[in-house]
This record gives sequence, structure tokens and C-alpha cells, in this order.
Amino acid sequence: MSSRWGRLYNGETTIDFVGRRWWGFIASGTLVLVTLFSLLFQGLNLGIDFEGGVAWEAPVKNGLTIESATAILEDNNIESRNAKVQTLGSGAGERIRLQVDDQTAEVRSAVQKSLADAAKVEVGEVSVSSVSSSWGRSITIKAIRALLVFFLLVSLYIAWRFEWKMAIAAIMAMVHDVVISVGVYSLLGFEVTPSTVIAFLTILGFSLYDTIVVFDKVHDNTSRFSASRVSYEDIVNVSMNQVLMRSLNTSLAAVLPVLSLLILGSGVFGAVALQEFALALFVGLLTGAYSSIFIATPLLSILKSREPKFRSLIGQRSLKADMTTLMQTGSSVSRKQSARSGADATGAKANPVDAVTAVLSHPPRPRKKTRR
Amino acid sequence: MRRKLLFTLIATVFVSMALVGGNLIAGNKPSLGLDLQGGASVTLEPKGDFDTAALDVAVEIIRARVDSIGVAEPEIIRQGSTVVINLPGVKDQERALEIVGRTGEVLLRPVLQSGMRNTDETTTTIAGQTTLPGATSSTVAGATTTVAGATTTVAGATTTVAASTTSQPASSGGLGSSRRPMSAATTTTPTTSPATSAPSTTVGSGEVGATTTTVAVAVSPSVPQQDISMTNEPSKQAILEGRDGLVYFTGPSQADGQVFANDAAAQINSGSWVVAVGLRGGATGEDKWNALAAQCFQKAATCPTGQIAIVLDGVVISAPVVQTANFSGSVQISGDFKEAEAKDLAKILEFGAVPVRFDSPTAQTVSATLGKDSLNAALISGLVGVLLVLLFLFFYYRRLAVVVLGGLAISGMLQWSAISWLSQRNGLALSLSGITGIIVSVGVTVDSYVVFFEKLKDDVLGGKTLKNSASRSFDSAWRTIVAADTVSLIGAVVLWFLTVGSVRGFAFFLGLSTLCDIIVAYFFTRPTVILMSRSKWMNGAKMFGVRARRTDGGNDLLAESSTEGVVAR
Repeated sequence: MSSRWGRLYNGETTIDFVGRRWWGFIASGTLVLVTLFSLLFQGLNLGIDFEGGVAWEAPVKNGLTIESATAILEDNNIESRNAKVQTLGSGAGERIRLQVDDQTAEVRSAVQKSLADAAKVEVGEVSVSSVSSSWGRSITIKAIRALLVFFLLVSLYIAWRFEWKMAIAAIMAMVHDVVISVGVYSLLGFEVTPSTVIAFLTILGFSLYDTIVVFDKVHDNTSRFSASRVSYEDIVNVSMNQVLMRSLNTSLAAVLPVLSLLILGSGVFGAVALQEFALALFVGLLTGAYSSIFIATPLLSILKSREPKFRSLIGQRSLKADMTTLMQTGSSVSRKQSARSGADATGAKANPVDAVTAVLSHPPRPRKKTRR
Repeated sequence: MRRKLLFTLIATVFVSMALVGGNLIAGNKPSLGLDLQGGASVTLEPKGDFDTAALDVAVEIIRARVDSIGVAEPEIIRQGSTVVINLPGVKDQERALEIVGRTGEVLLRPVLQSGMRNTDETTTTIAGQTTLPGATSSTVAGATTTVAGATTTVAGATTTVAASTTSQPASSGGLGSSRRPMSAATTTTPTTSPATSAPSTTVGSGEVGATTTTVAVAVSPSVPQQDISMTNEPSKQAILEGRDGLVYFTGPSQADGQVFANDAAAQINSGSWVVAVGLRGGATGEDKWNALAAQCFQKAATCPTGQIAIVLDGVVISAPVVQTANFSGSVQISGDFKEAEAKDLAKILEFGAVPVRFDSPTAQTVSATLGKDSLNAALISGLVGVLLVLLFLFFYYRRLAVVVLGGLAISGMLQWSAISWLSQRNGLALSLSGITGIIVSVGVTVDSYVVFFEKLKDDVLGGKTLKNSASRSFDSAWRTIVAADTVSLIGAVVLWFLTVGSVRGFAFFLGLSTLCDIIVAYFFTRPTVILMSRSKWMNGAKMFGVRARRTDGGNDLLAESSTEGVVAR
């Protein structure tokens, strides 16, 4: 019960998230810098759907090797130096993938036939995909436009449902997610395919869901503490600790299927298409879970604590036991009930205002009657 | 209250099961996308200016073409101005793509019918023949010519006959498209004079060649099929197959479908179906058509048969005999049309009037084994993933996890029904990204439960009874769930309208699973948890993983305050 796990389990943690916000900002800042450098020097490994080109995938059978496959390319007057050659999967599902620039339909089917002959399989067993580069560009532009519209609409919605400062914090966190994920893809040289984009979009939705749940809690707590002089940092800290278990649970619940797809689906069964999804989902889930805790909420606290109502309270943070007190008295427990369970060390102070002022380092300013 | 909740719960379960049952009885099942089943896919994009109505017609014609090659569940989707054609399970992918990818151009060619050099043979074939009443089978009209390059002469003129199509010689059997023998005799007349000619009187190709010409029979099989069907070069002569199973030897194209106005219609005239179409005025319309018609009417050297072949994508759709030299304003094509045939022809003429030329920026074929492997891997690992999530929830929320299990089942049933129904109705196909989306959406769905349960736990920890807090916690959690799901829905809608291809497919499944999440949360989770909170099964025990905060006396706050809760109400 008193163990760390027990406190976490019962939502009784008292972690000072706001006090440690610079850790998160510095870590993220570093990652963003690394991303920018990586994009500058290494760029992104874009798949054919974005760059355009032709790709063949043939099963590795009957002595079809990378050498014989590239030889087939040369036979069709394609410079094999410019070709991207990969082996995918393993065991019976092992495949060779050849990717080159735009080719005519005749060349496409000629190479397909030759590959099938070399592997001694039916022509249909060799997959071909071709994308013109102009199409790839239009896809990319469409995706980016969709993303921007999405950002815009979501911020409008959050601004309407909660407040505009929350919208800014949420969008910043989402942009952060996108940038970091792109960085991971650039740095490790993973190929960006439409599946990757889809997976990132899923994760954006997911990370946003996470952020909104936290903000909803903050929103609730703000109105609950509005009668008392509690700093915004405190509100954020309390809210974060209250939803921490939920955030962890949710992330775990989301990561489990993804891990299963990644390890079982693409690792054991060797389904390459799944790997593309699962990898992007995994990267995105991690950054998403991280950003809603370490970016979105701290940003919100910075934005909000400058407001007149909270400005004088900047830097006031109730820590450890004090935070527990704040959490409990601030919760919707009625006075009568907490009084009854009054054996509790701090529970005797039934009035939330008293409980809060008890932890302040200086005497409270007298309240004006006209205040809410 | 209690009765109402119970009713909601039962109704929800009943409706979900009924939906699944209904779909099962109707035989609907989710159709698998290309990446799971293997097959071919092409994206077509119109080139240059086009007309939206023409694009609709083009899509219909593509659909008809795809149907004619016998693809099991073709998926032809218009996404904005692009058309995506998915042909799952196609064996001959190359041919499928070639057929779909054609330009959809209507050409008008004079029918030469038989080559000039072999006039003798051909005339002998035709000479002295009587029309066999009732014998409707097709004749392969003589086709002789110089094929591309004008060096080799191929003698064509075949024959055959009567009664059963199976008895056709190899030559015509090998032509591939003689699925539906029908009389080739159609006629064109100016609309002013109603169709007078009975079909199959004057037309060579329409007669039943009762016999002979060993010469031709011997030669024809040597004509490679490729040469016949592929040479649709407008400026050259071409041997083309007809939709009626005949082979036409045609001269260079002298006009295209744009001579017609965009108003072709099938109508009944004197008790039979005819197709009427207007001519555009001026040099590009009427004049062009009349120039061709005049040649054919006079049976000039360039058009000895008097027939004009209406060619769509290298297939002769109809070859009417010209009945007059001068058409003014409109053309009426009459013949032995069935209603569907007349309408089909009208559609093609309309299409020819406003042609849409397509580019195919993407083409893809996926091998069937690869697709099957992906499907299996996705299903197995997805199930394992969901099981792990459930295990985790059972460990964490104990008996409350039963609600999650039920909710996932309901959500699964709803999604399965929606996907099955849409597969059947709208040609939706479940792709790998869709399946992945659904698996991942389990995480989102579980999130809703976690939000609710944590709220519930909070309240109980704070000293409320489960009974009292259930309904209130739901109200609070419901707001959060709706807020978060709205964001997901915004995402789905934006993606659906602004992207194409697989991202769009994914957007659909994202939206579907989000909707299911909202429905299940309100109509299943809410009544179930509230009802459970009143039952003995849940109460008084730590059945959902809550240990109430301990008081000094070690009393269980949960038990203690439960009595108070009743009083307080």
C-alpha cells in the first residue's frame, strides 16, 4: 500500500510534474535539434508512393538471388546501380524487392515475367507497383494539407470546448509528436510509406485523446479550486497525478496490440506490410504518451499561470504530502463525509480553502466578499 | 430507472445480434481488399479538361468492361476526380490492367469487310446464300488484309454456321469475345425516315454464311489473336473483333465519337429499340459524319460494305449499314436491339461525344500468397494483442473487465455488420490498413473504459458508494469521452475528404470505430455498469480493484459509507 506501485495503483502519487518541466523541454528540444540536423543531412527515406517509381517484389525461391534479380534489371536496360534492392521477411516468406524510377508498362511486365521465371513461380506471384512521380507529389501535398486542416479544426474545437490556451498547448504537443517521429524515421532510415502516414495519423488522434483527457481534468479542477487561491501549477500537478494511472493504463492498452503486431505479426510471421504499420505506431505511441505528459500540460501551465488570477501565485507548489492533501480536499468529497472519516491526518480540515492555506508559506490575503 | 436501463441494455445487445444475424442471413460478409487477397489495382486520373457527367459515364463503362472479364468482386471507386479500380483475385493481371487502362475512345471506321485482293473468294462465299430462317448463329465475316506494314497478306474469310455456337471452327472460337452471338445487322438511317430495313438483309456480315471456302478456314487460325485485337491505330487499317462475335476488317478512322452531340438516347420506334443521337453542327460534326456516310452509302472503295463500325477501345460495338448519303442533324441506329443493347450503345455514343482520357498514375499488383500471409499475420497477432489487453484489464479492474469484454464484443459485432453491409452495398473492402486501424482502435475503445473506471475508482476512493458514484462518474467520463471522440471524428472526416487511396480507407475505419465507441459507451457500458453497481456481485468487495483509503480503525471506508449514501439520498 505504501509502496510506490501501491500509490500509483490508487492514484496517490505526488509527482511534481510542473517543477520538472524543464527536463521535458530540454529533452524534447534536443530531440528536435537532432531531427533538424538529420533531416538536413540525411533526409527522409521516402517510399515509391511519394517519390514515384516502380517496385517489384518476388519470392526468394529456386535460386533467385539479389545478383540474378539485378541482372534481370540490367537485361531490361535499367541501371541497377540506381535501384534500391532489399530483402524482406525471412524463411518461406522471404522476398526480394527491387525499386527503380518510372518505367513503361512494357518494361514493368517484362521484368515481372523475368523475375517470375527466375523464381519459377507464376507471374501473379510477383507483385508490381508503379506510381508516377507527379502522383506521388500530389499525394504528399494532399496529406500535408489534410494534416493542416486537421490541426486547424482541432484547435478550433478545443478552443471552443475548453479554451484557446489549451488548444495551443495541444497543437504544440502534436507538432512535437510529428517532428520527433519524423526524426526517428530520418535518423534510422526507415522507409516512409502511406502506411507510415496512416499510422502517424492514428497516433496523433490517440495522443490528442490523451491530452484532452488530461486537459479535461485540469478544466474540472480549475473550476473546483476557483474559490481558493491555488496556483495553476498546483492544479496541473494535481490533475496530472490524478490521471497518471489512466494515462499509463491507456498507453499500455494501446501498446500491447501494437507490440503484438510488431513482434508476432512482422517478426514471427514475417508480414512486411504489418511491420510498416506497427513500427510507426510504436514510435508514435511512445512520443504521444510522452508529449501529453511532458509537453502539453507543462506548456499549458506556463501559458495559464501568467494570467492575472494566477500570476501572484507563480512558483507556489504544494509538494508530497501537501499535494495529497490538496488532492483529497479538492476532490468532490462532501464536507460531512470527510469529517466523518476525520481520523485521517489532514482530513479534519474539511474546508478546502483551509486545507490549501495550511500549506502556504505565508498568511493568506484576506478574501474580498465580492470574489467568486 | 432500473427498468429503463435494463431495457436499453437488452435492446442494445438484441440490436447488435440482429444486425449480425441479418447480415449472415443476407450472406453479406466483409470483402477483403487487394492487399489481403492479392490482385491488381489501378488509379485513373482524367487528363486535361473533362466533364463530370462524362466521368460518370466513363466509370460505368469501365465497370462494364471489368464485369465482362469476370472479376469476382471488382471495386471501382470514384474519389474526387480520380477513379480507383481494384480487381481482387485477378489471375491475368496484365490483361485486366490493360483493359481497364484503355482510353475509352470512340472511333468511327468504314467497314471494308473483306480485303480488296481477295474479293473473289469473299464474293463466292457470300454469293448464292440464303438466309436460314431461325438460324441465328454468327458468321465470321471475311477479313483479309495487310496487317500493319502492308507486306503480309492474310486471308480471312471464314464461315460457319448454324445452329450451335459450339460447332464454330477454331478460327472464330479463338477470337475470344464471341460470348453473345447476335445479329450484326444494324442500320443507320436519318431519323426522318423511320427504320425500314429489316435486319440482316443487305449486310454481308449479317448473313449466315452457310458454307465453304476452305481457303479461308485454313488461313484464319494463323492470324494471331493479338494482331486482331490490338491494332486500333486510328490512322491505319485494322482487324477488330466485334462485340457480336464477328471480326471486322476496317479502314482508317475517319471520325471519332465527337461528331455526336451529347444526347444519345435509346427509344422505341415502331415497336423496336433504336438509338437516336444528334450530330454536332459544322465541320467537326455533321460534315465529318456525312463525308463518311456518303462513302459508305455509295459503297465506295473505302467503304465497300456500306457499314460504319462504331469502335470503342478497339472493339466494334455496332456496325450499322448506312441508309442515306446525307444526314441532317441526327442519326438513328436501328437493328435487332434488345433494350439493354440499345441503352448500352446510347451510353457509348454519349461517352464518345465527351471523351475522358485517363492517365494511370499508379498501378499495382499484389500476389495472392503475400496477401494471405499478411491477413493471417494481422488476424493472429491482432487477436493475441486484444487478449493481452483483456488480461491486463482483468488484472487491473477485476470484475469490471467483464464490461470491457462485453463492450468489445458489441463493438465488434457493430463494426462487422457495418463493414459487411457496406462491402455488399458500396463495394467497401477491408484492407490491411483497415484491419490495423481496427486493432489499434481497441486501444482507443479501452481508453474510454479506463477514463470511466478511473473516475469511478476516484469517487469510491473518495468515500462514495459504488452505487451512487456509478451514474455520476459516467456523466463526467461521458463528457471526456465525447470530447476526445469528437477530435477523432474530426480527424476521420478531414482525412476522408482531403486524401485519396489507402489513407482514405483508413479514415473510414477510424470514423467507424470511433462511432462504435460512442454508441457502446452510452448504450452498453453505461447501463451495464450502473446495473452491476447495484448488484451484490460487485458491491462490498474489491471486485474492481479498488482498495478504499483506510481509516485509522482499519474500517473499510467503502463498507462504512455505503450505508450513509443511502441516507444521504
